[in-house]
Amino acid sequence: MLKIENLHAEIDGKEILKGLSLEVNAGEVHALMGPNGAGKSTLGYVLGGRPGYEVTEGTIVYDGRILLDMEADERAAAGLFLGFQYPVEIPGVSNVQFLRTALNAQRRARGEGEISAGDFLRLSRDQADRLGISMEMMKRPVNVGFSGGEKKRNEMVQLGILDPRLAVLDETDSGLDIDALRIVGEGINRIMRKPDKAVLLITHYQRLLDVVQPDVVHVMVDGRIVRSGGPDLARELEREGYGVLAA
Amino acid sequence: MSLLVLPSTREESWRWSDLSALPDLAERKPSGQVPPELPWIDQPGPRLLFVDGAFVAEASDPGPVEIAEVDVAAADHALARLAGRSGWRLRLGRDHATAGPVQIVHVSTGGADHLAAEVVLDVDAQASILETFVGEGWTNRLTGLTLFKGARLMLARRLLTTAGFVSITDRASVGEGGSLIVTSLAAGAADSRIDGEILLSGEAAYAEAGGALLARGKQRHDANLVVRHAMPAGMSRQVWRSVADDRATCSVAARVEVARGAQKTDGEQSLRGLLLARTATINAKPELEIFADDVKCAHGATVGELDPAALFYLMSRGVPREEARALLTRAFVADAVDRIGEESVREAFEQDVRHWFAGAA
Repeated sequence: MLKIENLHAEIDGKEILKGLSLEVNAGEVHALMGPNGAGKSTLGYVLGGRPGYEVTEGTIVYDGRILLDMEADERAAAGLFLGFQYPVEIPGVSNVQFLRTALNAQRRARGEGEISAGDFLRLSRDQADRLGISMEMMKRPVNVGFSGGEKKRNEMVQLGILDPRLAVLDETDSGLDIDALRIVGEGINRIMRKPDKAVLLITHYQRLLDVVQPDVVHVMVDGRIVRSGGPDLARELEREGYGVLAA
Repeated sequence: MSLLVLPSTREESWRWSDLSALPDLAERKPSGQVPPELPWIDQPGPRLLFVDGAFVAEASDPGPVEIAEVDVAAADHALARLAGRSGWRLRLGRDHATAGPVQIVHVSTGGADHLAAEVVLDVDAQASILETFVGEGWTNRLTGLTLFKGARLMLARRLLTTAGFVSITDRASVGEGGSLIVTSLAAGAADSRIDGEILLSGEAAYAEAGGALLARGKQRHDANLVVRHAMPAGMSRQVWRSVADDRATCSVAARVEVARGAQKTDGEQSLRGLLLARTATINAKPELEIFADDVKCAHGATVGELDPAALFYLMSRGVPREEARALLTRAFVADAVDRIGEESVREAFEQDVRHWFAGAA
């Protein structure tokens, strides 16, 4: 589903990704771990299409399409979802308005009809309920006045409503207490654990991986993947720290 | 119209104006061609249609509004003094509220038209007025607003004129406990100049003068407001949102004056601008002149661009760039438009804003 080969990317002339390769197949959950500054979030933003991140070498193929030729909104319409480490506050635009606009834009781009107001309301109520977000919060401006945990749960509500095929989730566990972590983790499993979908979970810690069990774990250091393995690798890192990899 | 004497941009209150099109517009002959669709909103209440400044009785239902000679002093204002004395007048007592807003549609058909108006609300009277400006040409208006004790007036203006110039001048006085809310939206393609002088002449009077100015191409909008607090415990709000694209210019100068005896005055000015292009210009000048010592006056003026992080966030969820820009810009403008209490009027404003964005190149 996603194939990254020899990816080099820089910000403001500083190279962050230095030859990263990674392949994620449908039906798989991959965890990407690594110390601060390894370039994990940069990879997320490059996949999402954020301006300012310049790819100098390498290719990314998503579903047979050259990802780097697509605008951020086209990537979303093609089923890619980027979960933000720091979800953005948008004063003056309600969650409901934002998500309905986004969902309808995606549907239009795919040649599907727009969703009716009633169907959208049912869909958003259902998804919000499951993440413990009230409809009152859904009517408030996007992420404005939300706590860190609420913002992350709100990302998962968006994931549920937009129903993507590939979710790249950047530090979705940061800022969550134990209960919220479980709710978010179960949300990821419920929405994304399907044979035709895949997840790339960017995280620092083992704890989210206790709920969302990865099929493959990658360790990223200094802009490259230095080791890949099964779920045991994450536990080993938790025990030993990233220091062992330097050796 | 050789008598047209226009102020120079060397005068402080006209420094951001460009009146150079007016002498030519003043010479042009109107076509008299009225568009088939007029922008009435679907509400009961009096309706008045003016075409090129002339009242069209057969297309109107004026209710309590009279066509009359009015007397509003504005000799000191270069454009307002051209408005003359003939126009419309609304005088209401406390038990004579209209069924819905008084709707006034002004159509200009290519020439210059001038009209004066006067609204007098007696003790505890209430009124809501919606003026909509369409067509093209130079539309020049002077309106006197007198609110006696406890009177309440909501005045909303939609400037939708597609070419030429719209100049609007208000001279208002608000008595004890009265409330005046004037909200303007410039969402057409003509240039505009909005002038307002509001005197809070009674204790605990309230005034709002604000709105949204949307400009693209080489358009220029220019608003110039003064609120004078003459008595204690008054409150005023000036909330303006300007959006400028291409090589357009939006300017807002808003001033609050607090007289020596006007203790406990609460004034707020929020002048914010959004540049959609680096070649556009936004001027914001908040001014305070305070001669009382126990007052609360907050003012803020900011000019910025769309937040790239918010733009990317919207796009990452599938919203195409232009739609995302429009959504964020409408949200920016909403601060000013949301203040309109009457739902049907607010909806008309929101629709005008959407329409403006839909017309983007």
